[in-house]
Amino acid sequence: MIEQNDILCHVRESFAGLRMDVPVDDVFARGRLRRRSRRAGLTGLTAATAGAATALTLTLGGPAPARSGNPPPQVRLAAFSVGDGPGDSTTLTLYKGPQYPRLDPSALRQALARHGIAALVTVGTFCRPTTGPKTGLSQVLHSSDLANGAAIVIDGSAMPPGSRLSIGYFPHYVRMALIDSGAGLSCSSTSHQPAVHLITPSGTPIRSRK
Amino acid sequence: MRQAQDEFADFYRASKDPCLRAVTAVTGDRELAEELLAEAFTRAWTSWRKVRRHAAPRAWVVRTALNLSVSWWRRRRREVPLADHDAAVPAGTGDWVDPALLAALRRLPARQREVLALRIFLDLDTETTAKVIGIAPGTVMAHLSRAVAALRRDTNTTEVIQ
Repeated sequence: MIEQNDILCHVRESFAGLRMDVPVDDVFARGRLRRRSRRAGLTGLTAATAGAATALTLTLGGPAPARSGNPPPQVRLAAFSVGDGPGDSTTLTLYKGPQYPRLDPSALRQALARHGIAALVTVGTFCRPTTGPKTGLSQVLHSSDLANGAAIVIDGSAMPPGSRLSIGYFPHYVRMALIDSGAGLSCSSTSHQPAVHLITPSGTPIRSRK
Repeated sequence: MRQAQDEFADFYRASKDPCLRAVTAVTGDRELAEELLAEAFTRAWTSWRKVRRHAAPRAWVVRTALNLSVSWWRRRRREVPLADHDAAVPAGTGDWVDPALLAALRRLPARQREVLALRIFLDLDTETTAKVIGIAPGTVMAHLSRAVAALRRDTNTTEVIQ
């Protein structure tokens, strides 16, 4: 029994340095969005700007449209569109629904590149610099909700030279961070596998939360 | 509402780190654990009236996070290796956890990992662990015993702690 306790203590101590970084206000914010979504009976995409200074998480489930103006016309694919405006910025629109899981990361990366925005797009995994995320994301990104998705306005001119956007595309949310080109990256999907793109081939609706 | 919010905030502050350690120990991935827990805590908050009366609210959160993890993988049917992007490494738990120990945990069957995590990080006794997982107390003891034996074998922990 003593040996068993020693082993258990060893495991406990080994994990003692792990701390959860998510502030409780983010949980409350997500809860509010969930309730609003339920009340409104909507299944749209909502921005949750947790940790917006260094990384942005857009979660599914949200209220009605807030963005005005016409949708960008240049590129229109199943899961997203990329277009000019407003002003000198670029708008990335992610659409909810059965097309959401079908995002082609290469297509999105190329579409953003055509608008001068360098990006690393991953599905089911999120890459951040091993040295920690770059600051300044809140100056680059502004998101708003649409009835059928989320619009992310990207101000490419606010991106630090040599930086690019890391976009991690998950079933319920999209995470974003600024990274330095050429920086060492740490990509989280699961430690059982090497970093992978995880692709859902079916048209299963992505939203399955309560 | 304000009182419930304060109560939940206290619960969250006291529970988030132990829950993160428990879910990380089971999933082997710190960032995935954090994502799952953010969702699980959100569900706990939106159902706080029910969860606060639970025999072990922390265990409710951890079980919810682990169930989300299962749902997550069930939605996936195909994996394509990362090919045309930067060389990348899985984040795992970073430098926080001894890699040998983490590898030894990964080799345990999922149920053993879960029992271990609930006992170690949430300080649940055998009876409560059994109730939370839905197995017999004797089975909890057996899982724990096997897990400890396997860890001892795999990590030479005995030498480390003596």
